[in-house]
Amino acid sequence: MKLSLNWIKKYVDLPEDLTMEKLTYDLTMCTVEVEDAVDLADSLGGLVVGKIITVEPHPDADKLRICTVDVGDMAPSTIVCGGINLTPGQLTVVAKPGAMVRWHGVGDPVEIKPAKLRGVMSYGMICSSGEIGLEELFPASREAEIMDITELGAKPGSPAAEALGLKDIILEIDNKSLTNRPDLWGHYGMARELAAIYDRKLMSLEKSDLPEGSGDLGIVIENPDRCPRYAAITFKNIKNVPSPFELKSMIWRVGMRPINLPVDITNYVMLATGQPTHGFDKNHIKGNIHIRTAKEGEKLELLDGEVLDLTTADLVIADENNPVALAGIMGGKLDSILEDTTEIILELANFTAMGIRRTAKRFDIRTEASSRFEKSVEPQRIDVAIAVAVNMFKEYFPESEIVGLVDSYPLPLKNSEVEVSLSFLSRRLGKELTAEEVIRILDNLGFKTEARDGMFHVTAPSWRSTGDISLPNDILEEVARLMGYENFDFIPPKVVLEKPINQRKVEMERSVREYLAFRCGMQEIFTYPWIEDEYIEASCADTSNMLCLSTPPSPDESRLRSTLIPGMMKGVFTNLRYFDSFRIFELTQVFADKNYHSINDPAEQLPEIARHLCGAFVGPDPRFLFRQAKGALENMHRAVHMEPLSFAQVAARPLWADDKLWLNIMYGEESIGCIGLISLRSARKAGIKRSMTVLFEIDVEKLLPLASRQNRYMRLPEYPCVDFDLSIVFDEKVAWSDIYETASKVELVKEVRFIDEYRGPQVGEGKKSVSFRTRICSNEGTLTSEKIEMITKQMIKKMSKKFDGNVRGA
Amino acid sequence: MFDELKEQGMEKLAESGLLERLEKLKKAGMDKISETSLPQDLRTVRANLVGRKGELTEVLKSVGQAAPELRKVLGQAANEVKEILTQAIDQKNEELINCASCFEGAADITLPGVDFTSGGLHPITQMCYDLNDAFRSLGFEVFSEPEITSELYAFDNLNFAPEHPARESMDTYWLKGHDEESGAKRLCLRPHLTGASVRYLQQHGAPARFVYPGRVYRNETTDARHERAFFQYEALIVDKDFSFASGKVLVKTILDKIFGMDVEVRMRVGFFPFVEPGFEIDMRCLVCGGEGCKVCKHVGWIEVMPGGTPHPNVLKAAGLDPAVWSGFYINIGLDRLVMMRYGVDDVRLFHSADLRFLDQFK
Ligand SMILES: [Zn+2]
Repeated sequence: MKLSLNWIKKYVDLPEDLTMEKLTYDLTMCTVEVEDAVDLADSLGGLVVGKIITVEPHPDADKLRICTVDVGDMAPSTIVCGGINLTPGQLTVVAKPGAMVRWHGVGDPVEIKPAKLRGVMSYGMICSSGEIGLEELFPASREAEIMDITELGAKPGSPAAEALGLKDIILEIDNKSLTNRPDLWGHYGMARELAAIYDRKLMSLEKSDLPEGSGDLGIVIENPDRCPRYAAITFKNIKNVPSPFELKSMIWRVGMRPINLPVDITNYVMLATGQPTHGFDKNHIKGNIHIRTAKEGEKLELLDGEVLDLTTADLVIADENNPVALAGIMGGKLDSILEDTTEIILELANFTAMGIRRTAKRFDIRTEASSRFEKSVEPQRIDVAIAVAVNMFKEYFPESEIVGLVDSYPLPLKNSEVEVSLSFLSRRLGKELTAEEVIRILDNLGFKTEARDGMFHVTAPSWRSTGDISLPNDILEEVARLMGYENFDFIPPKVVLEKPINQRKVEMERSVREYLAFRCGMQEIFTYPWIEDEYIEASCADTSNMLCLSTPPSPDESRLRSTLIPGMMKGVFTNLRYFDSFRIFELTQVFADKNYHSINDPAEQLPEIARHLCGAFVGPDPRFLFRQAKGALENMHRAVHMEPLSFAQVAARPLWADDKLWLNIMYGEESIGCIGLISLRSARKAGIKRSMTVLFEIDVEKLLPLASRQNRYMRLPEYPCVDFDLSIVFDEKVAWSDIYETASKVELVKEVRFIDEYRGPQVGEGKKSVSFRTRICSNEGTLTSEKIEMITKQMIKKMSKKFDGNVRGA
Repeated sequence: MFDELKEQGMEKLAESGLLERLEKLKKAGMDKISETSLPQDLRTVRANLVGRKGELTEVLKSVGQAAPELRKVLGQAANEVKEILTQAIDQKNEELINCASCFEGAADITLPGVDFTSGGLHPITQMCYDLNDAFRSLGFEVFSEPEITSELYAFDNLNFAPEHPARESMDTYWLKGHDEESGAKRLCLRPHLTGASVRYLQQHGAPARFVYPGRVYRNETTDARHERAFFQYEALIVDKDFSFASGKVLVKTILDKIFGMDVEVRMRVGFFPFVEPGFEIDMRCLVCGGEGCKVCKHVGWIEVMPGGTPHPNVLKAAGLDPAVWSGFYINIGLDRLVMMRYGVDDVRLFHSADLRFLDQFK
């Protein structure tokens, strides 16, 4: 919202030594955020008033004229100009050589230099209104018209900004910060606030003598809950003429386009008081004015030409026959102020916020009026607005006459009342206050305060009674902000040390993440909770218990994840465009449309929510990727302080997994997830090509953090241990787990470790060579070479006997 | 030595020519040794000169055939030469080992170092954990709630007016099948974190001191500055008659942690339904130090977070008496902070899973 400082000053006498910096700072700290303060004169810098003395044709150009112009210097300047309305005696705006001019009023200033135009030297430039950003204030009726300011009668050479009365500062207020202060949506409201901040006197808006009687107009409010008050004044002898420059200029400065005098007056009333108003052509209104909801099938053409198909939820202003305005948002085109209007019905009405907001949203229309009503304007404001409006019409249309005033106010708004104690204010503000201080601040803000029995009985002014003020805390805020938040010293909170914070679940989740990232070389990713149908299909996820969004981000992303697999597949797909091997994981919440339960209020039934961990290992070798992923899970318990995970094929194969490489992940006796290679089918559906991917997913909620570290120290062996490696060829059917178990039982064997396996022509079809390292230790003495040889032979024999395995190359 | 022998008048010695051979051998040997630059070459030199089949051994053999009276002198001279050469070889060997390499061939020491891990935490997780550490050192608990919540906890408890625009489906992701419901029965993806504060207070009572970071969702059109899923970090203290002037500790804890220095902050009027009084909290622009620049839109301050005292209606919803308890909230957008911290220019990158982006935060 834009506010003119000159306009504000009409209502309040600000301190003389108040700088713009101080004003914007104070307003920002106490009330609303001032985004910018723009000096209007600045945008017209370098421009002066020029009086045209002579106009001669250019010898070499039909469209150019050679003018002599008085620009306040000793001698007139010669200026070559293409303007078509150049006339001797005319006053215009000139940019002199050396002047720094902002073209169109914006951007960086550009220096004007003398220039030769078709052989004739030109010392400066005569401006059109468009060239200096004033086209709305001085509309050109034709192309190539220079700006004519003869009617302003200024002295040649004087600054243009001064001649145009544009010595003003425009404050730009962040609308968001005005959300709960509908009283500030007008110059008078902001003047009232500044008067309170600087403890200055606020001028009262002069009252007007209002006529008795309603004329022949009746008001029927059918929905008082949406329109608590509706007043209409009928004026006669009105003309649709342009506004005088001064009025145009006032509304233009704060961002509105001057239209014609009656409309400009309605806008003036709104900009002054914050109360939107609208004018209807009396001759177009048949019978009474009805404030009602639209009927099925009704249409309305708005002022901007848009034709609306109204719904029964939209409130309209209608005459006996048709809607004539979309209530509180925009007038109708056919029945508002027209070229030939002579009699006006001026509407000053109050509409409640929710209805306005919904209708504005439905039709996607935002107007000056709707944005004010959306913030809850108080109905009492109509009183001041009527006074301002009547005075304006009297001033600008002296021959006009008020023929009727109707004011229907079925639902009067009560002022808010709050009880608050001085001690409450002092305690919560951490500062001793006096009753006088509090009363003075509240009084400046228009609050009535009665002190009795240590309590203040505070009555809020009507303009703060639409929801903003209702509790002791609201009064606290008013007092604190006017005292200045900076004037409260920081008080460090008292910390009471009771016991150490021990949040094992919170810590465990962090340990899991850090373990995977820092020890397993995996990168954490985030994906959206809504999953794409394409990846649901690729992962064969069960959609029957997935929750859905009412208005999803896109039609194919309506389901909420019950598993992280689809999102992980997408993550793999995304990264395969740039990398061929990588490791990623995600740990987050998943949801299912079942097991509804409450965690706080019993009335609130939340669906099943778990936390899952999902990881992907991507690369060329499926068997190795599988071992890597398995290893990440197998070794997790030490870093995370939990019981170890184990693996088995107990439940059915996950539908996305390759039949040759998958396992269930066990925590104790329970399967809490699975690990597997993405099957050919799923990989194709997910667009995963070239590289192989092993995924795992576990339910982290099932993991129980241990109270402390659990591993124990083991004594170091007294005598040196000895390692020996063997490569043995087995049938494919022989599993490592069986080899391991058998090998571990051999005499003196302390440890058996897998090294690698080999398949290929050298070992033959259906066979594999497995290499492993065996460590043997004795507690009785150093192992002799005979003993070592004996155990090696024993190991080979066992492998041969039990699995039909033969030492490779033997 | 030879000169001495000559002086003693032993002319015969010279006649045998053996002394000249020794002299030559010594000189050639010394030259050879000093020319040698590789340990393995030196081994050959040693063998050739003083080895069992070396030249000196040959000379010594000839000494046996010399006249008996010369043998002793010649033997002595030959042994002296052997000793000199051996010493020179040993010395040379020491020199060569001192500057020798363990391996053959050249090496490029400008090759990059080997990277041990290729993983990392998401930059938002990192920032979140940094803040958790800071708050836990101040005795705060870390709390979390389900990402699915109800209108009761997302709006009603938090003093949002019944017609507040945030409740509409244009802003909040409501779950399908709950459209006709309201309050506790109408479920949605949580639109902010603040609802979790009421859950915590209902479970733990007051006084309380806790943080509850997490992801929230808004139905929005996305662009470089707007996301549908984003992270917030919220902290709340509730205590008896807690003054808003003490709330600054929360603000300072966050900003000092993130920027690694004492950041100047100011609190000014702001409006949010769940706080009264409410604040916009600004920090001194770090780019210009408050002088005014493009980053701070020439005001010297940057708006970083909202905050304020819990609204009495919120405390009531949490089962606390607002006449007794008060406190301070702060809520900060983690995405925006991380963007500020690293100069990230597109918020959508956080949920992109793109390793080209995530890799930069290891
Ligand atoms: Zn700055």
